[in-house]
This record gives sequence, C-alpha cells and structure tokens, in this order.
Amino acid sequence: MTDNTHKKRVDFGKGVTIFLFLLPALLLFVGILIAPIIVSVYRSMYDWNGFSEGTFIGLENYKELFTNGSIKFMVGLKNALLIAFFSVFVQLPFSLFLALLLGRKVKGEKTFLSVFFMPVLISTVVIGQLWLKIYNPDYGILNRFLEAVNLGHLKHVWVGEVSTALGAVIVPTIWQYIGYHMLLMYAGVKGVSTDLREAAMLDGATKWQVDRYVVIPIIKPIIRVSVIFAVTGSLKTYDLVRILTEGGPFQTTEVPSTLLENMLFLRNRYGMGSTISVMLIVLCFAFALAITAAFKDKEA
Amino acid sequence: MGKNTKRDTASGYEYTEIKKTNPVTRFITYIFLIFWALVNIFPIYFMFTFSLKSNEEIFGENIIGLPRNWIWENFTSAMNTGNMGRYFANSVLVTTASIAISTFAALMATYALTRIKWRGSKLMNSFLMLGLTIPLQASIVPVYVILSKAHWLNHYSTLIIPYSAFALSMSILISTGFMVDIPYDLDESARIDGCGLWKTFFAIILPLMKPALSTIAIYSYLQCWNEFMFANVFISDSAHRTLPVGIKALSGAYTTDWGPIGAALVIATFPTLIVYIFLSNRIQESFIAGAVKG
Amino acid sequence: MKMKRVVSILLAGAMALSLVACGAAAPAAPAAPAEPAAEEPAAEEPAAEPAEEPAAEASDGAITLDMWCIATESDSNRHSYEEAIKEMQAEYPDVTLNWEAFENQSYKTKIKAAVAADEMPDIFFTWSCAFLGDFVNAGKVYCLDDAYQNYKDELPEVMLGNTTYDGKHYGVPLTMNIVGLFANMDLLKEAGYDEIPGSYEEFIACCDALKAKGIIPFGCAGKETWCVTEYLESVIEKSVGADALNDIFLGKATWNNPDVGAAVDTFQGLVNNGYFDPSGIGLTNDEVKANFMAGKYAFYMNGTWNCADFAANEEFFPKVKVGEFPVINADKAKLGQLIGGPSDTLAVAASSENAEKAAEYTFELGKRICHYGYLDGCGLPAWTPYGDTSGINGLTQAVSDICANADSYVLFGDTAMSADDANTYLSYVDQVYGCQVDGTAFIEGLAKDIR
Repeated sequence: MTDNTHKKRVDFGKGVTIFLFLLPALLLFVGILIAPIIVSVYRSMYDWNGFSEGTFIGLENYKELFTNGSIKFMVGLKNALLIAFFSVFVQLPFSLFLALLLGRKVKGEKTFLSVFFMPVLISTVVIGQLWLKIYNPDYGILNRFLEAVNLGHLKHVWVGEVSTALGAVIVPTIWQYIGYHMLLMYAGVKGVSTDLREAAMLDGATKWQVDRYVVIPIIKPIIRVSVIFAVTGSLKTYDLVRILTEGGPFQTTEVPSTLLENMLFLRNRYGMGSTISVMLIVLCFAFALAITAAFKDKEA
Repeated sequence: MGKNTKRDTASGYEYTEIKKTNPVTRFITYIFLIFWALVNIFPIYFMFTFSLKSNEEIFGENIIGLPRNWIWENFTSAMNTGNMGRYFANSVLVTTASIAISTFAALMATYALTRIKWRGSKLMNSFLMLGLTIPLQASIVPVYVILSKAHWLNHYSTLIIPYSAFALSMSILISTGFMVDIPYDLDESARIDGCGLWKTFFAIILPLMKPALSTIAIYSYLQCWNEFMFANVFISDSAHRTLPVGIKALSGAYTTDWGPIGAALVIATFPTLIVYIFLSNRIQESFIAGAVKG
Repeated sequence: MKMKRVVSILLAGAMALSLVACGAAAPAAPAAPAEPAAEEPAAEEPAAEPAEEPAAEASDGAITLDMWCIATESDSNRHSYEEAIKEMQAEYPDVTLNWEAFENQSYKTKIKAAVAADEMPDIFFTWSCAFLGDFVNAGKVYCLDDAYQNYKDELPEVMLGNTTYDGKHYGVPLTMNIVGLFANMDLLKEAGYDEIPGSYEEFIACCDALKAKGIIPFGCAGKETWCVTEYLESVIEKSVGADALNDIFLGKATWNNPDVGAAVDTFQGLVNNGYFDPSGIGLTNDEVKANFMAGKYAFYMNGTWNCADFAANEEFFPKVKVGEFPVINADKAKLGQLIGGPSDTLAVAASSENAEKAAEYTFELGKRICHYGYLDGCGLPAWTPYGDTSGINGLTQAVSDICANADSYVLFGDTAMSADDANTYLSYVDQVYGCQVDGTAFIEGLAKDIR
C-alpha cells in the first residue's frame, strides 16, 4: 500500500519532470508551427481573399485544386516529385560517394570537407545569380563553351525553353545541397569504429567492400534521414525556382511553394493558398512515413 | 572506450592505409577531389569579383573575368546607403539567439525523449519531427496574425521565436543521434549517487553534449541566416531589419545597381565562411567523437 | 520658357482627356470639359471650404505617423521622397514621420499580410485600381473626399479616376507613366532612318531594314510577363482603339472580340518575323535594359520611368529618343491613344488613429513627392506642376509632349484587372509571346477564364 502510493508519487514527479523538460520545445513548436496549420486547415475551407469577409465552401478548394487546370497544381507536384527523384537517386549517391571517399582519410580530408560544404552556406540569391550567368543565352558560360567545342547546335535559351527549363532548375538545386547530405553522412562514416574497418581489411576485403558491407549498413539510419530531407526538401523547393525561372516558361516549372505564394500574395486567394499548404504538409508527412516504413522493411 | 584509442591510432594508421593504395587510383581520386573543390569554390570567386564590377560588366561585357576596374566604392555604398553594418549586427544577434534558444530547448526535449523511459516518448518524437515537413510560407499569415494580436511585432524576439521553432526539429534530430551514444551507465551511477533527473541533465549530460553543439549550430544557422519571408513581413522598422531584407532593399523598383548588391552579398557571406573555416575543425572533431544517428 | 509652355499644354491636356477609371462608379467628369477649360477642374462642385493654411491646423499636439513605401535606397524615386519629407518636416514640425522603404516584390507580400492582420501603417504606398480596390472593398482604407476639397485646384480630379471607388476618392496619386517606344538613334541611322517612323508600314520597313543590317529591332524580357504586355497592349490599342481595349480591361466588354484576336496575331507576326530577340524569353528586364543600353536592340518599349536612368547614363543619353507606337488600324485607333496613367499612389489606413491629420499630410506629401519626382525624371506629374521645372531632362520633356497631345489613356492591363484575373491574363500573354496560342485561342481562353 505505502509502496504503491510512493510509486505513484514517483510516477507523478517523473511525469512533471518530463513535461517540464519538453515544455520549452512544445511551447515553441505548438505556438509557431502547429497552431498555424490548424488555422490553415480551417481557412482552406473558405473562399477568402485574406482581408474581407470569407465564404465557407467546404472542400471546394480541394476539388478545384485537382480539377482546375489553370491552377497548375498537378504540374507543380509533378515537378517537385521529379526534383525529389533526382535528389534521391543522383544527389544522395554522390553525397554518399564523397562521404565514403573522405571517410577513408585521404590527405587534406578536412580542407576538402570544408570546401564541399561551402555552397550550402552561400545564400541562394548568389547561387541563383551565378547560374543565371551560366545559362545566359548570349554571353553565358554554357553556350559559349558549346560554341567553343563546335557543338553550337546544342545551344539553348536554357531557362526560357520548355524543354530545358526544368533541367536548368534541377541541376543547381541538386548541386547546392550535395555538401549538406555529404556532411551528415560523413558524420556517420566517421562514427564507424576503426577497429571494425581494420578487422574487415584484415579479412581481405577491399576498401569498396568495407564500405559496402560494413559502413553503409551501419550508417543506414543516417541515409534514411537524408532521404527524408531530400524528399521533403524537394517538395518545399522554392528559392532557386523563383530566381531562375519564376515558374516559367508558361508555368511549366512551377512548384507547390511558388504556386502557394502566388495564391496568397499575387492572386489574393488566401483560402486556396491555405489549401495548397495543407496539401504540402500532408504530402511531406506521408512521404516521411513511407520512407521510414520502407527502411524498416529492409532492416527487418 | 573508443574516443582515446581512436585518436591515437588515427595518425599512424592513416599513412599505412594510403600507402597501400594503387598510385593511379590515388592520382585519379585527387584529380577528382580537386576538380570538385574548384566547382564548389567558383561561386565564391564569382561573388567576390561580381561585387567589384559595374552593371555593364555584370550584364554581359565581362561576366566571369576579373573586374577591369576594381570598384571598391561598391562596398562603401553598400555599407553607407544600404546600412549593411546595422543589418549585419541584427542578423548576428537574431541568428545567435535563435540558435541558443532552439539548441537549449532541443537538448532538454531530447533528454526527456531519449534518457527518461515513458510511454508515448516515441509518439512525441514523431510529433516533433512533423516540423521537418512544414513549409515556412504556409505559416506566415497565421503567425503574423498571432504576433500582431500579441502586440509583438518589430522586436528582435519577433524573429527569434519563430526561427527557434523552425530550427527545433532538426536540432532534436541531431542531438538525439549524439545523446543515445552517451552510455546509459552514467545516468544509472548518477542516480545511485543521488542525482535527480535535473541534476543528471545539467551536470552530466549537458557537458557531454558539447561536441554536438557545433553541428546543431551549423544546421540551425542555415535555417536562420538567409531567411527572408518572415523577416520581410514581421519587421517593419529598419532598426530591426536583417541582412536578407537589407540586401533586397538595395534593389529598387525601377533601377537596380548590381555592384553594391554583390558587395552586400559578400558582406553577408564572407564572415560566415571565415567563421565556418575556423569552426570546421571543431565540427569534424565532433563527428569523430560521436556520430549522428537517425 | 519652353518648359512653361509644355507644362500648360500638359495641364490642359490632362483636363481634356478621359483617363481610365477602374472604380465601380468612376467620375463621369472627363466627358464634360472637352475644351481646355483649364483652371476650373471639376466645376460642378465649387470648393466647399477655402483652402486653409495647412500649418495652422496641426497645432493641437504632436503626433507620429508611420509610412511604408517602395522608394528603397537604390530606387530612382528615393531622392524625391527624401526631399519631400525634408520639406514636410519644416512645414509640419509637430508631425513625426517614421517612414520605411521595402523592395517592390516583397512589399506586395508585406502590405497584404499587414492588411490581413490589421497592422497597416498610417500612410502606405499602393498601386491604383484593383490593388487598392481590394483593400477599399474590405473597408481598410480611409476615404479622402473631405481632405481633397482643399486640393482641388492643384490636383485635377481626372487624376483620381484610378483610385475612385463608388464615387469616393481613396488615393493620392504621385507620378504617372505611360509606355514609351524608346529608340537607339545610332542603330536607326545605320539602317537609314533619322527619325522614329511615324506610320506602321514605315515602321515595319524600318524593322526589316534593321534586320537586314543584323540589328535586332526589339528587346523584351520574357521572364517578366509585364514587359511583354508593354508591347502587346500597345499593338492591341493601336489596332482596336482605346475605348474597346479599356472596356475589356474593366470587364465591360468581353474578351471574345475578333479584332483583339487579329491584333494578337499581328503581335505574334512581329515575333515570328524575328523582330524580337530570341534570347529574350530567358531574360529579366534588368538584363534586357542593360542590353538595350549597350546597343543590342534598336527599340525598347517600356514605362517612361526609364527616362531617369537613360538620362543618367552620359554615354547612352545622346543616342536615345522616345516616341509613340504607330497606328495600325486608322479606322479604329489614332495617335494619342496611350497605355498608362497614374498608378503610384499613397493611401491612408482606416485604422489610423490620426486618419484625418494623416489624410491632409498625405496630400501635402504627395504633392511634393510628385514635384521632385518630376524634376528627377521619374515620371510625369499627376499634380499640377509648380516652381521652376526647366531642369528636367530631354526625354521626360519629350514624354510630356506626347502626353500633351494625348487623346486617351488605357491603364496597364495587369493593374486595371483584379489580382486573380490579372494573373490569368498574364499567363495567356506569356503563351502568346511563346507562340503557344494564337489570337483566337487567346481571346476565347480569356473570355472563358475571366468572369
């Protein structure tokens, strides 16, 4: 009896402590991130321009999102998924390759690591301007180079033509964040104990075999995090699209975030903007869950 | 175990390994690494030279070459007309405070999530990870309405609080990786010594989390330093403006002089690069000390 | 001396024209004083109160007013704001003005968020017509009718057309701008022309001659669709006439007008003939403008606010002239039908605690910003010019002359239409420039997608 109350008191005390430890994070999190989502869900059911009286229209916005072709949501979604695809299957393998290479204690490892991370630190405005100069149809480096190597017929107005614009956005987006994932993975690679590697080497494994069969399985949780970041980050892509193509030509390079901003602040359709943001959050969360599940399957 | 032995073996071990490598492979590896390094350094060169050019050179006459006339006045005009010094100081203040708040909140939360056993900790963890999926644009107007109802606009804290919140999930994720690596025996022996949960956190866990700090800081920094949308909407007096908004303000509606904008970008970027280079050693040490786990 | 003449002509012209009005019940005034009946603008309403000495009013206690605008440090309008505010400080010592400037695009986000959260400053910069109209409809803007009574003599009522909703005035216009046809005379000379051709046939011949010489006739930024509208709207207006286009923009007539379709095809013909720089679709306006100033294009059609920049470039200024786009169909359109009008506007928030004071202050401030902006070449004055205006640059002067002979103005389509419609319109214009749709598809598509 006394034992039981004592235990209860301990439990209660522990509960309070846990709560207090979580409190600062929860306050920030619920106040700034969760509350606005609830507001967005509510607003997504209104036809509302943001400042006058709105009308409740239920799920009409959601319906319109998929049926009204001029909103271009499907185009935006397709582009974001394409970016996610390249991110997962081109960017991440490359980041992993760099991380493994540097993890092998090459000379100048630290310098290379710092340099490879630099594009992440540079403002996207600069990166965007740089690539605009590379793509410039008249004096850009790319067209000049093609001319110099007698491939003049391959010249394009890179960010202005339907066939090339999306590619022109994907390349810098992928490139800029290679360092970001590399650093995460490098941290994992460095965490693999040297003894483990050494043991494998003594068994006659080549370096690539060590990486393949020892290192990669150990850093799998990090790879999972990277995949989640790559996919959710791609769904949220915004900056470079704004700077490089503005969603053009003919809205073929729009992504959900640019559409969201257009709805909120250009077209004054606040309700529809909220609908897009709700969709975006749902998609990001669904992908995060799916990726986690996929990795669990493999691990099992 | 580990930490000390790892460091000891590091230097001797690395050379034997390198020597074993085929020189051709090694050569190709270095060529590749150097090539990739150049690709990554180029934007910095570009930004620096661009900041010293005139509009004519930037838009066509001389895009990637060295400036013909080194227009250092671009920097003076960015500093004077653009008030970049002030904005820079504001950005430093806001970013530092946000990193500090989010890191501390994240460490406390992580402690409760990983080192105290309770039902629902997993669920709470996934709930907090939801933050990684929320796009910033989605919350601008609701947050703005909340802040304005609370008469809480145009302060440094107007930005610090939202930034801390948005950096939180990532910080928890990273610190979880570090914190689960700290042996659980430590908590156990602390409990036997009579330390409560609070004391264990502040006296034992927190000091051991030092190596994680630079990593958390770098990733939180990435979220705060270049943030534009919140800074634009929430701050209306130039006394509290941050760098990204200041840089935008340099470009006018009908006229844009790109040289000073480049100079402002250099002012915004170079100090961070320098700090990063100094810090990178620490960051890498922290990686060797303990790995990030998902 | 010469300037004085220009100004008086301009003033008279302004009285006589029909400026486009976008409010639901715009003042019908312009129709009546068809003759340059100068001094008395809106004669139906005799000035209710005699103009008071402004300084005398503001004696009961010091107040603080907040103002947001887009005259950032590098904007060509910056100087006029600074001068005007300096003068206002001397004039109204008990009003403290806290003003902040924001970058153009981000300002649109900012002001809309502020309206949504009821956090507007006392005085704010806005674009006329639909942009301000949405705020007015939501009841967030202070009506300026009372304050305007004191400024009737200095600010012609026609200039308020774009900020009048249901017959009430809500905005103080600053400068006005039109679309100008800027020409690089050095390049025209190479093709054998000393002047900008006056008729459309000659104009096309000139473009062919330029092309034969390897000179690109037009530069246009495809990445910023508003730049395409500067060309397209001029072509449509000079084909179907100002009234027809105006009615379409204001929703009084349907887009489904075969003449408009034909005009769009004419424009597309210019594109298909290779008169436009093919690289233009991937360029921003900054890049195109830099190209024009570097001598890559013979013509550049854009807003007359560019005069200030062109005048500031000593090397380029002697080469450039400004003209009017020639008439394409003389049966329906004529010279003097222009695209443009007053759009830059200051307005007062309904939530302002000192709205009445702010209103008066805004008129005084707007008058001065307009004055200095005109002197700087940032645009033409919406207010009756005062003081010595002999110092303005030749280009702005030429624009004044064009406006002095103006017949009517049609406001930029994307300003005239509501935000949602304007974006639909811009996306169709984008497709026209990229030759994705032809004239018929353009008019039918817009008739369907715009209510």
